[in-house]
Amino acid sequence: MRNSSKSGILPGGRSRVLAAVILLGLIGLAGRAAYLQGMHKGFLQQKGESRYSRVVEISAHRGMITDRHGEPLAISTPVESVWASPKDMEITTSQIKKLAEIIGMNSAEIQKKIEGPRRDFVYLKRHLPPEIAARVVELNMPGVFLRREFRRYYPAGELTAHMLGFTDMDDNGQEGVELAWQNDLAGKPGSRRVIRDRKKRIVEDIESIRVPRPGRDMALSIDSKIQHLAYRELKQAVEASKSKAGGIVVLDAQTGEVLALANLPVYNPNNRGNIKSERARNRALTDVFEPGSTLKPFTVAAALETGQISPDTIFQTAPGTLTIGKATIRDSHREGPLTVSQVIQKSSNVGSAKIALSLPSKTLWEILSQSGFGVSTGSGFPGEVTGRLKPHKTWRPIEQATMSYGHGISVSLIQLARAYTLFAAEGELKPVSLLKLDAPATGERVISRATALAVSRMLEMVVRPGGTATRAQISGYRVAGKTGTAHKVEGNGYAKDRYISTFVGYAPASSPRLIIAVMLDEPSAGQYFGGVVAAPVFSKVMDGALRIMSVPHDVPSNNIVSFPAARELGGDV
Amino acid sequence: MIYQTDIGNQRIAQDFDQILVWSAILLLSLGLVMVYSASIAIAEAARGTGGYAAHFLMRHGAYLLIGILVGLIAFQVPMPIWQKYSFRLLLLGVLLLVLVLIPGIGREVNGSRRWISLLVVNFQPSEFVKLFMVIYAADYTIRKRVHLDNFRKGFFPILVVMSVIGLLLLKEPDFGAFVVITAIVMATLFLGGVNLKVFMGLISILIVGLLTLIWIEPYRMQRIVGFMDPWIDPYGKGYQLSHALIAFGRGEWLGVGLGGSVEKLFYLPEAHTDFLLAVIAEELGFVGVVAVVILFAGLVVRSFVIGRQAAMQERHFSALVAQGIGVWLGVQALINMGVNMGILPTKGLTLPLMSFGGSSIVANCVALAVLLRVDWENRQSMRGFAL
Repeated sequence: MRNSSKSGILPGGRSRVLAAVILLGLIGLAGRAAYLQGMHKGFLQQKGESRYSRVVEISAHRGMITDRHGEPLAISTPVESVWASPKDMEITTSQIKKLAEIIGMNSAEIQKKIEGPRRDFVYLKRHLPPEIAARVVELNMPGVFLRREFRRYYPAGELTAHMLGFTDMDDNGQEGVELAWQNDLAGKPGSRRVIRDRKKRIVEDIESIRVPRPGRDMALSIDSKIQHLAYRELKQAVEASKSKAGGIVVLDAQTGEVLALANLPVYNPNNRGNIKSERARNRALTDVFEPGSTLKPFTVAAALETGQISPDTIFQTAPGTLTIGKATIRDSHREGPLTVSQVIQKSSNVGSAKIALSLPSKTLWEILSQSGFGVSTGSGFPGEVTGRLKPHKTWRPIEQATMSYGHGISVSLIQLARAYTLFAAEGELKPVSLLKLDAPATGERVISRATALAVSRMLEMVVRPGGTATRAQISGYRVAGKTGTAHKVEGNGYAKDRYISTFVGYAPASSPRLIIAVMLDEPSAGQYFGGVVAAPVFSKVMDGALRIMSVPHDVPSNNIVSFPAARELGGDV
Repeated sequence: MIYQTDIGNQRIAQDFDQILVWSAILLLSLGLVMVYSASIAIAEAARGTGGYAAHFLMRHGAYLLIGILVGLIAFQVPMPIWQKYSFRLLLLGVLLLVLVLIPGIGREVNGSRRWISLLVVNFQPSEFVKLFMVIYAADYTIRKRVHLDNFRKGFFPILVVMSVIGLLLLKEPDFGAFVVITAIVMATLFLGGVNLKVFMGLISILIVGLLTLIWIEPYRMQRIVGFMDPWIDPYGKGYQLSHALIAFGRGEWLGVGLGGSVEKLFYLPEAHTDFLLAVIAEELGFVGVVAVVILFAGLVVRSFVIGRQAAMQERHFSALVAQGIGVWLGVQALINMGVNMGILPTKGLTLPLMSFGGSSIVANCVALAVLLRVDWENRQSMRGFAL
């Protein structure tokens, strides 16, 4: 009231009081702000984070699959998937139309998806190339988001399709190596904490919680060049012989590594739209067939091991038939007395049966079983079959006789190729590996070195004049191998005019490096003998592969001897 | 007084209260920047804006220009004219408040009928009624000064006026404006020298009245509960406040940086209007909040000083108008900031000079112009000029 005299009716003290009250209020607010922003912030920030921070998953990069030389066979490329949160979507029909145009769908499809039962997450279109995804971003539509994913790409396409298999949309292996080594290849997805606005758009990265662990790269045992060669020749042969299917396996004779493996029919793994199981099967590993005469060397090896016969022991095969009980075994060409070597060279069923019948069933069974028939090769390939080898105690004499030339037993092509390591690796059975090995695996001795070499010499005679597979010869290399032409099993018996033609062989015979097994299913262009349809595939692939690997010649390059065609047609069945 | 021949610049510098002018300019400018920052996301997402990010910035800028223009005109009006027309202005205010309640004229937004649609813009009468009330209360206090000890003669008339306006405002409803207007009238009476005993009695009645109003209307009760502890129901009643508080917490001392607010990304409702301070707190931190508090303090202090100067020169009406404007801006800022910080119930009051809102900005600019007019008249009379 000090100023009341001066200011008349307005007491100055009161205005000071009122101003002070307001100022005190303002100071109080500043104090409150200091409390909220300085002391209480931890609680408030935690509350805030619980509202708008989220943990999002980051896809891990799937490991690359390469061939043995580091050539990429399966690689992952980043792609964007468009997804929507329907309950956050605010888009007009014209915007939907625009979106549909960009991602290549029609509006009705999108409408159907966003009206579905899921209200917070629905994929609209997956695996779009980044440039198209960028155009989706430009639309800036609330409730529509992108998600980084990886798409598998197979540079070699159908060439390596059966070996590699493929992955599904979510990058999980579905077949082949992709499935078998899924855990190694997949890696571990990481996660990060982000801030999202209320419309669920990520506006800020806060922290990385777990760095994604990329999958492990893998080197397969495959050699791309040999694989290419093998596939090409197989394809030509299948087409030329009008076969229903075909398969080829190339093994490293010393290590058991699979250098090439191809089947027909095949599919394009980069176009996953319609892969039929018919084409997806890796027949060389998952299908069995009756191997026919390619099994004869094992019968002979079993007999040689007993020591009761030698390569020069003579068996009478005339008159070309052998009757056991009600059944009759026939040779396709009548021969007279044949040495054991000649039984192999000319592929005499009667000779082979007589050798087998001279042995206890257990001895033959043991050789076959130890050669890997009826058991898995341990390749680890999904769906690999074991084949069927009946227990010897159940064998009837006729069964033992037919078994000796590969009927009444079923094997896969890779089992057959692997079994030949016996003769190529001096009596040891090598394990099969689909992965590149750092050190050669140790084999398991099945037959003596002497027996192995003896059989190997017989197998060399097969491709020589007088043998069933002169077309398997290669310039500059000694070749050993065996043809097979088996009637296909049909119901309870055998089909009269449908065959499986095979050739299994290795080279150079003096110091084997590669084993190649070729199988053609139902060649129907007239010729069907293994020596005619399968052996040429073998020789072309073997020739090329040995050159690719720079394997030195073991004979002068003028070694090929042509021979009258009639003899080539062998005496299978 | 002898430097009348000085060049214009100096004249201007001497003719205006520097602190007042600069506080106002800084508040208006900071408001413009923050309204833009707080509204970008909202503008881009809203249907009515065509996705134009600067939608609210352009409008706020336009309102500011209009406000300055109207302010320049208001500055030309001598204080005696305001006094002469004070009752007619009050009647105009009452008329506008009645109009806004008539369906077809008044426009309803979020359950409140506070706006009159004028083609392109919406006009909010209550913002101007605050100004009219400052002028009317000042004039009333001067006229009734001899009766200010007497309840029936001194208080009853203005109590009737306040009841009418209060009823109209509560009908909208605009409880916040009613509180501000009550504060303006009570402060003016207090400054006018009202008998303290009577004044205290009146305050008691008002407090009881306010509490009654709160108890009657359930939605006000909800706001009270929400403000007491927003974490009891953080996704329901406490939603808005909890997000405002989170914004303060995120801002810490120096803020997350201009444009960095997360709360403005659709979490915090009314980010560019009532809860602008929360966005300031998040982006500019405690430093930003204190700057705003200091600027308002400067505004309030200068308005009181200007009022005292006028009182010393025996221009009592001008004195009460100046201080009434100070009370208006100060109390409204106090309430708005208190709401933002969770120490007062959620109200629906803008932050003066800063929040987005055409009527509010224009009314605030006119108030500043009147304040500057009082100051200018003070200086003129100090120099010996006749007014």
